[in-house]
Amino acid sequence: MSSLEKRILLKDWGKNNCHTIEVYEEEGGYTALKKVLIDEKDKWTSENIIEEVKISGLRGRGGAGFPTGLKWSFIPKDTDKPKYLICNADEGEPGTFKDRVLLEDLPHGFIEGMIIAGIALGSKQGYIYLRGEFYKPWQRVEEAIKDAYNKGYLGDNILGTKHSFHLTTYRGAGAYICGEETALIESLEGKRGHPRLKPPFPAVEGLYKCPTVVNNVETYAAIPHIIINGGKWYANLGQGSEKSGGTKLFSISGHINKPGVYELPMGLPLIDIIEKVTGGIKGDKKLKAVIPGGSSTPILTAQEAKKAIMDYEGMAEAGTFLGSGAVIVLDETTDMVELAYRVAYFYDHESCGQCTPCREGTRWVKNILKRFKDRIGSADDLDTLCDFSEYMSNGATICPFGDAVKMAVIPIVKKFREEFEARIDKTEKVHEKISIGDR
Amino acid sequence: MNKTEEKEYSFSKKSEDRFKELEKKFPQRSSLVLWTLHLVQEDIGYISKPAIEYVAKRVGVSKSWVEGVCTFYSMYNKKPVGKYHLQVCHNVSCWLNGSDKLEETIKEKLNIEHGETTKDGLFTFTHVECLASCGTSPVVQVNNDYHEKMDPQKLEELIEKLKAEV
Ligand SMILES: Cc1cc2nc3c(=O)[nH]c(=O)nc-3n(C[C@H](O)[C@H](O)[C@H](O)COP(=O)(O)O)c2cc1C
Ligand code: SF4
Ligand code: FES
Repeated sequence: MSSLEKRILLKDWGKNNCHTIEVYEEEGGYTALKKVLIDEKDKWTSENIIEEVKISGLRGRGGAGFPTGLKWSFIPKDTDKPKYLICNADEGEPGTFKDRVLLEDLPHGFIEGMIIAGIALGSKQGYIYLRGEFYKPWQRVEEAIKDAYNKGYLGDNILGTKHSFHLTTYRGAGAYICGEETALIESLEGKRGHPRLKPPFPAVEGLYKCPTVVNNVETYAAIPHIIINGGKWYANLGQGSEKSGGTKLFSISGHINKPGVYELPMGLPLIDIIEKVTGGIKGDKKLKAVIPGGSSTPILTAQEAKKAIMDYEGMAEAGTFLGSGAVIVLDETTDMVELAYRVAYFYDHESCGQCTPCREGTRWVKNILKRFKDRIGSADDLDTLCDFSEYMSNGATICPFGDAVKMAVIPIVKKFREEFEARIDKTEKVHEKISIGDR
Repeated sequence: MNKTEEKEYSFSKKSEDRFKELEKKFPQRSSLVLWTLHLVQEDIGYISKPAIEYVAKRVGVSKSWVEGVCTFYSMYNKKPVGKYHLQVCHNVSCWLNGSDKLEETIKEKLNIEHGETTKDGLFTFTHVECLASCGTSPVVQVNNDYHEKMDPQKLEELIEKLKAEV
């Protein structure tokens, strides 16, 4: 293990049977819950739990990085509607595979986090929404829930107190857009995964029109540690900007020697992560580019990557996003035209189709890139592509998917333009123009 | 698809039991649509027209609602698939690590293209988007199981093994 790693959420990972409730308890699991409900019950009022999470600086680990404590404070207190808690385990952002580790190998950590969140927010029912492909992780989570019920951590009168909290799993069925929280809620209501117009925000009107909090698996998994060691301790784990506290699970893949999931303090230089944590580029190759936060985040050239710091602020400074912490490393042999095409193909496939600019735009972007892939692009195509993507972003669509397409594709084209220009057909053959019905 | 009459559908015993459990867990019945379609697919491998009607009736929503959900989500098979559904991820990380060769292996060995099923009804091949297995890419999902760090040779061996199991 590299000395840069800091295992908090992953501390039990790799131990024999680390997914079981027995091992989790042996290693100190469920003591945060006991603290909140029994040992220090006067201290841990609902307000104090939320306050501690605010102090921790924990920000949503699903991609958007919204401060978790603040999100929780938006849940209305004076309502007689039920409140719902949702765990977003859709993990669809290309390059991301860290939630799967928590679901499959360490399920009790985020379950304990959800129970504590339920107590803080006055929610009695939580749902865990897993992407449908996660069959084994789903089985593990089901087993974990059953064990937690048997031990009295879930159910009515948790550990003999007046609190109750129930957990139910839900399986998606293959739709990236259902990772977006309002699409996820629609899907949980048994519908097509169409994102909703906001406001109202889920905190006011979410699942079944009731106040709802949606958080990522990793976000919930941090909660027990914040309760046990304090918000301040958690915040101080970060080594970069003050606004990016704690550790983060990074999913690192691509052309590197040791791909995998790594828990690292926020604020490390990206190049150290590549060279020291994942053992550098495979073979004798040079670094060409890095996609730092999942395929929706703008690509960094090798030069940009060498200066970049891995936290929310550092990534913003580099002109990109930390996203879900999915780092895809590309070596000098990578064909950037093919890369752009693969990314565009994905968005075209996954657009939910509600908004015309997104539904039609993703198809055009893909089709234009296909021309470059086939070496029949024209000089105009590149400009059309850049113009076009403007129409599907900046508030033109219901959800940020449209913006994601622009952020993902256009920087590849702009930063590696010569590779696209090399695919322009100079034979002046007249090629069939793309038509709108072209699929 | 040919126009032969599709068989009437009703839950298997296992699915009936699961459905009764699930009914207790959601305050609004419409939430059962996705779950119920999963049960159907476990029973008969795809979502047939009679199954859509059946789901609509059991859950208490319209047929068009169920049909709409079924066509929106890519995991629901709209027509029968082979006994083994080979799903090759062709997204970025898998591509960087050689998923193209896996697709070629399937095409050559089984003589089918994306979306097709072998004549003996054993294998269906599709390419799919990121399966959250990028660190152990390339990955092939066969029915519910992930096969990670694949290469053409391992894939050929897997196909042979699956054939032998029939
Ligand atoms: C297109 C799109 C896809 C998303 N996919 C995911 C996902 O797979 N998992 C996830 O946790 N969040 C995803 N999100 C972010 C969620 O909308 C939401 O911000 C998140 O679940 C909130 O939890 P957090 O604050 O703990 O991160 C996605 C957002 C968008 C716009
Ligand atoms: S932007 Fe795209 S994905 Fe988002 S709601 Fe509109 S059509 Fe659907
Ligand atoms: S790119 Fe294939 S599993 Fe993520």
